[in-house]
Formats: sequence, structure tokens, C-alpha cells
Amino acid sequence: MEKPEMNENIYLPRMATIQSMRPETIDVTTFRVTIDGSGGTGKFEYKSGQFAEVSVLGVGEAPIAITSSPTRPGTIEFGIRRVGELTNALHELQPMDEIGIRGPFGNFFPLEEMEGQNLLIIGGGIGLSPLRSVILNVFDNRAKYGKIDIIYGARSPQDLVFTSEYEEWQAVANTRLHLTVDRGDEEWKGNVGLVPTFLREINPSPENTTSITCGPPIMIKFVIEALNELGFSSEHIITTLERRMKCGVGKCGRCNIGSKYVCLDGPVFTLKQLEEMPSD
Amino acid sequence: MASQTKSRIIEKNNLTKLLDKLAHDYYLIAPVRDNNVSFRRVDSGNEVTLDYINTVLSPKSAFFPQTETLFRFSRDDSRGLGIEQDDEPDREQVIFGIRSCDARSLRLMDMVFNGQYKDSYYMNRREKTTLIGLACFEAAETCFCPTFGIDPASGEDVDILFSDIGDRYLVEPSTEKGAALLDRFAEFFAELRGDEEQLREARKAGLAGMKKLDVSNIADKMAPLYGGDYWESIGMKCLGCGICTYLCPTCHCFDIADVSMDEGGERFRCWDSCMFPEFTLMASGENPRPNRKARVQQRFFHKLKYFHDRNGELACVGCGRCIKYCPVNIDIAQIIEDVTSGKAGNE
Amino acid sequence: MKATSEEVQTRVKKLFEDGSIAHFIGYETGSDSLRVTPCFLKSGQAASLLVWNPLCANNLSKYLLDFKNVEGKVGIMVKGCDSRSVVELLKENQIDRDKVFIVGVPCSGIVDREKLLEVLGVSPGEVVAVEDDGGAFLVTLKKGKKRVDKEKVLRGECLVCKYPTPVVYDVLLGEAISSLPWVGDDYSLIKEQEALSSEEKTLYWNRELSRCIRCYACRNICPVCTCPECIFDKKAPRWLTKANDVSENLFYHLVRAFHVAGKCIDCGECERACPMNIPLRSLNKKVEKDLLELFDYTAGIDVEQQPPLTTYKVGDLDDFL
Repeated sequence: MEKPEMNENIYLPRMATIQSMRPETIDVTTFRVTIDGSGGTGKFEYKSGQFAEVSVLGVGEAPIAITSSPTRPGTIEFGIRRVGELTNALHELQPMDEIGIRGPFGNFFPLEEMEGQNLLIIGGGIGLSPLRSVILNVFDNRAKYGKIDIIYGARSPQDLVFTSEYEEWQAVANTRLHLTVDRGDEEWKGNVGLVPTFLREINPSPENTTSITCGPPIMIKFVIEALNELGFSSEHIITTLERRMKCGVGKCGRCNIGSKYVCLDGPVFTLKQLEEMPSD
Repeated sequence: MASQTKSRIIEKNNLTKLLDKLAHDYYLIAPVRDNNVSFRRVDSGNEVTLDYINTVLSPKSAFFPQTETLFRFSRDDSRGLGIEQDDEPDREQVIFGIRSCDARSLRLMDMVFNGQYKDSYYMNRREKTTLIGLACFEAAETCFCPTFGIDPASGEDVDILFSDIGDRYLVEPSTEKGAALLDRFAEFFAELRGDEEQLREARKAGLAGMKKLDVSNIADKMAPLYGGDYWESIGMKCLGCGICTYLCPTCHCFDIADVSMDEGGERFRCWDSCMFPEFTLMASGENPRPNRKARVQQRFFHKLKYFHDRNGELACVGCGRCIKYCPVNIDIAQIIEDVTSGKAGNE
Repeated sequence: MKATSEEVQTRVKKLFEDGSIAHFIGYETGSDSLRVTPCFLKSGQAASLLVWNPLCANNLSKYLLDFKNVEGKVGIMVKGCDSRSVVELLKENQIDRDKVFIVGVPCSGIVDREKLLEVLGVSPGEVVAVEDDGGAFLVTLKKGKKRVDKEKVLRGECLVCKYPTPVVYDVLLGEAISSLPWVGDDYSLIKEQEALSSEEKTLYWNRELSRCIRCYACRNICPVCTCPECIFDKKAPRWLTKANDVSENLFYHLVRAFHVAGKCIDCGECERACPMNIPLRSLNKKVEKDLLELFDYTAGIDVEQQPPLTTYKVGDLDDFL
């Protein structure tokens, strides 16, 4: 993995300015930022699947998945859910406010190896955020991939994220978006049911298909079970994990699962790799 | 070991004067007795004690301080917050009196703080420090460094080794850095008299019978014990405090936090411990290590397997501090024996 | 006569056999001759591991909190001091009385390991065993035996212990002890410190607490520190960071002393656990003395007694209002 361009001091963030904040749900907002002094993304070269350590100076820092695609340069986007001290502070900011960014860190989705294959992208809740980077990346290189199925679910219709983009996604060639919610409401006309159940109902073929999934740990667990039953092999099931992180560079010792550091050797792992790791 | 021609001796009554000069020319860190013995910055040779087996806290704080400012930021009306990087202390350090176990631990810490991403704070201090080791000729009952291929009387991991061979110290440089320092302070040293090796061997008799455990393939022996009941019984005793991790010379876990006031603030890092319950607690409330069994397991797996899997070395140096100070007597040497003998798999 | 290890083993085995307990917390020999370690039993099978000797310093009552929601009665071995922290846990409803089977052992002093080694001038490897011998300890060394006056090597809290016999128990092993001959004014050291000027006190505590590494061993080993989420671990509001400086250290220790005020029974575990030799007992002892003088209150004696800081009485002092 090549070393990204960054400060000599790996703990020093680069300042970035919030260009826009698009609320997705009551607790999720997509932040679009530019790196200061660069007029864009200033050599912040990232790949789909990587994350950045985002900070509000004086409050703290947290690892946030990058949701934009490197195929659409100029800005970097983060889908941030309000859940703790730092994310709450981020949500209190406004466009033109500054945040700190360190990174990009972590490994990335093996998009080159997936060329020529069909893609099955399964997301739950805010888990769609890192997956969106893959989705947009793949859309921008559409001819390189086979058919694309996106299965996405959230607790309720109000919790679905990136809804303003669904129309655009569904308009892409040979691409289907399957939506579901755990609990519907009077207006909801789509599927009602948990993502793993929905996945079984859709019954996708594992032939020449790689599956990428991200969501709450319990959803990932059941999705992987379902994918196994459907005949997907462990090399073709890919997920991205979440852990509490601080340094982002494999030194503070916090995010390890066995001998692997999620910030260095992950956050993207194949099921085959996960099977060799302890169940921490 | 460096060639004999560069080795020297120093008379015992010259040592204090040498330390005085070192304290004057460098930021000298040496063992000081103040309730217990610990490494402190000293201004003169008189403050130094050599009457100890090892210090309570390891010298890792000289490279990886418990609290360290990463950078400051200040509020500027026109542009919001601006970052100022904290000035690196540009001082040359000398640590005098470091033992073989602690010296080895620095090589292990280097594997963490160097590598793919270089931690400039640690590496800067490491590069600017000369290590003067003090050979051990007496071991505590909790010492077991030979287990890890560490020779308590050798200067393998330091720049210069001092050995107390009776009426004088044998002074041997192991690196260019060490030899250069000896040359700088040549006036304090004298030529070898010829019987130094003999005297050293006689002194080494005090190390006979030191605990040397079998750790061959221990990383592989640990693997099947993951999730086992053995860690349950240890986890039950464990208080979940940070004594073992804070005293351990190879523990490197840290937290990063911000403090701020109206006019600005700073981001700092500070020691943290995998034994604390909230160490892996995520904002969502999920905690992959939610109980003491999981955390205790993590500690011993890290030291005896995970670090080895990544770096090819075990992360314990047998200094015995965790054994001596654990209030409930959790003993890593005993755990190693239980793993090697198979007892840990039978619980 | 003091109970022997064998008597403890026999009794515990029986308690398992007749169904009185489903778990037991006691002591077993540690990793060297001068140490013991907590022992957790789920059956009488391994009861022969249990020991009872002058090295049994640990206050095991802290572990009762782990058994709150575990099926079955838990037996526990308690000395006089330990029984008093059990009383405090019962007072606070941290655990039900009928969940615990208390095996009380009257104690005439625990050895301070470091003091013993210093007085005898030996290393731990030379010691084989330590037994209670009335006013002295009988130390079996590899080469012979030695008698050491208890007063020279007792732990600090034993030198001032007023409750050598457990105050609550289901069974008592060994003869009850009414008082320990060396105990005099247990506040003499505190009175000395009270006599210091404000500047001297500040200097003293800043100096002692500058060594604190915030390992939280004192808090974690304390049986009456029972909060599931400690105020010092809270993120919001964040009262303390993990940064180590004297000001934060002082804040932590003083606040903790107040939080356990009225509960602390001077078992001394905090000071024993501290790797930096900080005289923590005197902080808590001072609060203990104040509570005695202000409210005529002694912790850990009577489960029914109301703690003064959480009880309101009409005659309470309010001259600060």
C-alpha cells in the first residue's frame, strides 16, 4: 500500500473547510469539505474504503469513512452520524467552518480485482456511507463491471440515507436498488423486513459476483451467514469494520482484532481474513 | 561488542564527576531514590543512586512521556483556529543506568513507533538519546529476562555499558554513538588493567539460577487457548487497573484528547490501558471487549502472540515489574509456564 | 487460636457439599512464598487450594459485586476489616444479605511484605512460610526459623485496627479476638498532619501526588468504590482527562476521598495497591476522623446505621447556609 501524502508529523491534521452540510436524517448529515490552501483536495489522494481522522479542534478526533469517490475530485465527503462527543460537535458546525483532517488511512476495496464481476452491495443504516464511495466509483467506471445490485435497509423510512441520490443510482445501466426498512409507515410502499431476510428473498446468484457489506455488527453477521448459504465463497465476501480508533496509524494499540489493526490492515477485510482472526 | 581497544575503566570515585559533567552538557536522566527508585532528570551526580535492581517505572517515559502535547491551537478572530506545532525539545539526552531488559524494550517499542508511519515525537527523542546501560549482577525474584534471550550483563541494546566489577566500572561502548561520547569525556576514563574480564565473570556468578522459562513457539501454543476458561479465572481476579500496563516497558497504548479554553487549547496524547473497560468502547455503545476475561486475554495474547505475529518478537522482556506490583498477584511468568506446560488448556 | 488453612478447607468443602454455597471467594498461595492471590471456587473439589495465613492481605469483598447477578449463594472469607466493607456494601444494597455466606476469620495482623524483608534482611526466595505466633510472626526460612515482633512488620492499617474480629458472619473460624495489644490512638499520624500549616500540607500533598501515575488501582481495589460508571471515566461532562499532572491528580484523590467518605473502613488496600508508595490511607483516615467528630459515626459496624452524608436529620449543622 503506498504511503499517502501528508504532513511529516502524522498527528498534525490539515485544516479543511466545510463547503456544505446536507442533512440525510435527523442524526446523519453529509459533509462536503475542501482542504484549505489547495482549492480542492490538495493531494489528499484516497481510495474507496479508506477513512480519515476528522477533528474539531478543542473537542477531539474520530475515524470517519470517506463517502465520496476519488473519481469525483474537488471535494471530499463524509457521512456522519451524530452519536458521540465529536460527532455532536461536528453537527453543530456550519458551512465555512473548519475541521481538521488526518489521512487517508486504512486499506481499500479491491476494485481492480472486482473488474469484470457482478457486484452485490449490501448496506444497513449509516453503513451505506463507505459503500457509497464504491458505488459512485463503480458507476464512474461502469463498463468495467457486470450487473450491480444494491440492497439497502434502515430502521425506518426516515433513517434511510442518501435518498436524494437514489433516482440517479437507479437510472444507471444494469443496476438495481433494493430498499427495505425494519418498520414501515403509512407512506412507505417498499419492502418491509430486515436486510438479511430481504437478501434471502432476493436470492442473488453467487456466480461471478463479489459481495461487499457494511452496517451494524449484528447485521453484518447475519448477512454473511445468508451469503454463505447462498453459495458465496469467503474470498468473495468483503466487509468493512468499525472500531474505536485514535491514532489511525497502528500505534495507539486500540483497534486491534488479534494481530490485525483495523486502521492499518483494515478496515476492509474479506471473510477469509476474518475467519483467521479472533472473534474479538 | 566493540573492540577491546575502545573499552575503558572508570574509578568509582570518578563516576560522580563524570555524571556531573554529563548533567551539565546533556539532559541527563538517571535513577533517583525518592521513596522508591525512578528515572528522573538530574542536575548533578550526587542525586543518582546505583543501589537498586530496577526502577518502578521503566524509562519509556523518556521517549514516550505519559502526557505529551502534540500541538497547540489558538483562536484568531480573523480566521478561527490556527495550529501551532509544539516545539520539539531539541535537547540531547543521556539515560544513565538503564538495565538490559529496558534497553531491549526500546528496540521493541521502535517497531511500533517506526515502520510504515514514523512517529516523529518518539523517534526524535530516540535519535537524540545516548543510552548508558548498567550491567546487572543481581536479580530480583521477579526477574526472568534470560527467557527472552536477554543477557542482564551485556550491552547489546545500549550505546555504552558500565559494569561494576568491584573497585571500578568496566566501560564498554557498543555503538559509534557510545564510542564518540566516551572520546568526548576521555579525561574521566583510564586504560584497562587486564583483569577486567575475570572480575566480570566472578560478578556474574550472582546471576546464576535466574529464571529462564521455555517460550519456544509460545505464539503457536497461545492460539488454541483463545476464548478458553483459563482467562476467565485470571479475569476474575484482575482489578482492571493500569498498573501492569503503565509499568510495562513495552506497553505503548495511548489516547489522544483535546483541551480547550477561550483563547485556544491543545491536542495531547497520554498513556491509556487496554485493561480499562472503556478502552475499546465505541460511541454507539458497542464494546468488543466488554468484560475482564476479554481484556486480560487481550493483554497476554498481545504480549505473547499478536506482537510476535506482526514483528517476529515477543513483547515481554522479563523485567518482572507487573509481577511485583500487581495487587492481586497475576503473574505473567506463571502464565507462560501454564501455557507451555499445557495447564492453561486444561482449565 | 487462629484457624488453620486446613480448617478453612474442610469447612468450605462442607459448605459446598451441603448446598450452602455455589461459589466461594478465598485466598490461595501466590506465585512466591510471600504472596497470596484471590481464589474463586465453583465446587469443593479444589478447596485444598485455600489458605489462611498472615499474608492474606487482600480485601476480597470487592469481588462480591461481580456475583450480584450470578446464580447461587457466594461464600466469602473475611477478616475483621473485610467484614466492615461487607457491612457497607449491605448498607448500600449493593448485594443482598441472603446472597452471601460470610466465613469470618478473626485476624491478629497481616504482614507487610516489604517491611518483613527489610527487617529480616533476606530476599523473598529465602522465605518458606509465615505463621502467626501470638505477639510475633514465625518466619520459616530456607535456613532456619526467625521470630519477628509483629509491631515491626505489620501493615499500617493493622497497627491501628479496632476490629480484629469480623462484625458480621455466618460462621466464625478461629477464636474471637477482642482487641489487639499494640493498638493505641489510631489518629496519631493524622493529628500530626493536622498540626501542619496550610503551606506545609500543600507542599506535602503536591509532592506525594506528583508520583501518582493515575493507574486507578486505588479506586479499583477499593471495596466501597462501587459506581458502575466512575465519574472520572465519564466523557460528558469530562471532569478529568487522562493527562497526568499534579493538579489533576489532586482533584482525583480528593474527590475520591469524599466519595468514599462514610464508607471507607481503612482496610488499607488502596495504599497496598499503589505502586508509587503514596500514603493514601492518611487522606481517608482524616475524613474518617472528621466524620467521627462531627457525626459520631463509624463506618462498617452496623448495617442499620444510616450514613451521615446521605441522611438528613433535623438537627444537622447548617451554619454554612
